[in-house]
Amino acid sequence: MSEKTNYEAGFGSDATRDPQRIVFITRKTSAKVTGAPGRQLMSYPHVVLREAIVFQILTIVLVSVALLWDAPLEQLADPQLTPNPAKAPWYFLGLQELLHYFPPFVAGILIPSLVVLALVVIPYFNVNVEGAPLWSNARPRRLVVFGVVLAVLLALLGVYRAWTIIVPTVVVGGLVFLSYFIPPGKGRAFEFLRSRALSWWVMTWFIVVAIVLTEVGIYFRGPGWSWVWPWR
Amino acid sequence: MANSLTQRSIQKLRSTRVWRSIFRRGPARTNRSRSLAIFGNLFLHVLPVKVREKSLRVRATYYLGSVCFFLFLILTATGILLMFYYHPAVPQAYRDMKDLRFVVSSGVFLRNLHRLAGHAMVVAVFWHMFHVFFRGGYKPPHEFNWVVGVGLLLLTLFLSYTGYLLPWDQLAFWAITVGTNIISYMPILGRPMRFLLLGGNIIGENALLRFYVLHCVVLPAVAVILIGVHLWRVQKDGGLTVREEHERENQL
Amino acid sequence: MPESDTATSVAGRRAENGGGETDRRDFLNGIAAAALGVTGLGTVVTITKYLSPNVLFEPPTSFRIGPPDDYPVNSVTYIADQQVYVVRTAMGFVAESAICTHLGCITQWKPELDQIACPCHGSRFNRDGTVAQGPAPRPLSHFGIRLTPDGNLLVDRLEILPQTQILKV
Repeated sequence: MSEKTNYEAGFGSDATRDPQRIVFITRKTSAKVTGAPGRQLMSYPHVVLREAIVFQILTIVLVSVALLWDAPLEQLADPQLTPNPAKAPWYFLGLQELLHYFPPFVAGILIPSLVVLALVVIPYFNVNVEGAPLWSNARPRRLVVFGVVLAVLLALLGVYRAWTIIVPTVVVGGLVFLSYFIPPGKGRAFEFLRSRALSWWVMTWFIVVAIVLTEVGIYFRGPGWSWVWPWR
Repeated sequence: MANSLTQRSIQKLRSTRVWRSIFRRGPARTNRSRSLAIFGNLFLHVLPVKVREKSLRVRATYYLGSVCFFLFLILTATGILLMFYYHPAVPQAYRDMKDLRFVVSSGVFLRNLHRLAGHAMVVAVFWHMFHVFFRGGYKPPHEFNWVVGVGLLLLTLFLSYTGYLLPWDQLAFWAITVGTNIISYMPILGRPMRFLLLGGNIIGENALLRFYVLHCVVLPAVAVILIGVHLWRVQKDGGLTVREEHERENQL
Repeated sequence: MPESDTATSVAGRRAENGGGETDRRDFLNGIAAAALGVTGLGTVVTITKYLSPNVLFEPPTSFRIGPPDDYPVNSVTYIADQQVYVVRTAMGFVAESAICTHLGCITQWKPELDQIACPCHGSRFNRDGTVAQGPAPRPLSHFGIRLTPDGNLLVDRLEILPQTQILKV
């Protein structure tokens, strides 16, 4: 109310006796997407039609697979007999793999809570909104800082001997390191790597680690959570 | 083609009083009636009346959000049908699973579809979240919608987890044993939370019933509310974001 | 009549009335808020108590396991329906939980290894319940065990004994 904005005002008569609405039309009345508006289409029929097509394709695919692949059903639950190995649903197997390395509180409560907290906080961290590449500024200093952080992380993981996390971290960290040395103009793939922001690298690292942990939990763990090769 | 018999019969039907009392907008041939088709409809008015053409391209969003929503609809429909034959009691639940597989018409298909859609839902929500991240769809003014999305992610995982126990086979029982024991490691609140969740100290009939109520009533109700908020906020925050590279193409 | 309770108008009112009328309004608002808070808290507590069962139909927690002579010296006997190991050494009896202290899977006695092994994550325990290897954080719990007047052993799951305590028979 006290800011100087451009607005037009209309008014009525004595507001206490005969209240009328006053309209303030400010420059920005609603949230707007950044970027040029471009061409707009009517939602009906364009959006409704496309959504209907997506629904049909999805249904056809799901129904076809459901007709061919049967959901599993093992024996009746027996509280006295633990199967070996006892595995969680596949989307929690990454977590169960973590449980193999870290104490239950860390792997089961602390890390998932931190991950969820980090996800929630992402949009409120207004750092590098333009998405500037990691190596665009202060190059040598950033390289040193990155190297130190990576070394500390790997040392911490090494203490717990968490190999299934160490290997993907080394791979992704190595890629970050290499992207520092890529000169400009070497083709689309190199240009892509070279121009990635730090947030992109962190999220990619997280996704790669999560996928590796889950795959290991599904295919490479046998009785007693021992390492097995899936083709044996 | 306006004069074929079917066209004329449909036109006659649409001009009757009964029809016009139900569907008030008339044929969608003007932009006005097309607008009415959206914001005059209880369900469709969660969509905006107009959208940017670029956001409709497959490569903009891969329609992942829509896929999540449609999977939810499929899961609800198959789930409700499965509920007609399932007793959440020990060991009747397991016998019902066998019933569905061998005795009930299309039982095996419905269960397969429900389980498959459940797994696909977990994959789809993760993919949707990562894709929104990589195209910057969480940036202001869309921050709160991202948070609602994280809430929906947790709801999806919890829905999948509660559903996992319901067949009451070895796979279900021991998967849930491991999970609920992890909960008890939470300081102070861990053991009481496990007690409340299981309705006791062991995984037994109380636990099955509670997971059933959570899976079929409580969590879907919360999910419907959050999905409504999530879709509404997409529109109110200014519509779908499209990646910078796609914005720059065909700049007028 | 002031229309809305913005900061300026409250301060204005206070200045006009010298602290009389506004204080009463704020006081009543505070009481209302406290009442709502108590109602909300009461609702949450009542619902939580409703959801916590007072009666549980779970297996009995204390049970007899027969006379001591049923168990040879230096043996480990697994009682399946109670998930308990009865370990008899030269010095006496110990009743140990068969539930792995890591994440609750049921362990198995492996006489060929002279160890109790958990299939879930590879934890191993010695005869006395201490952790030999693996991610288990604590040794297996020792349950209360006593000799009844009629000469039977009675195990009580709800009583947890120190690791060193043995029932001498």
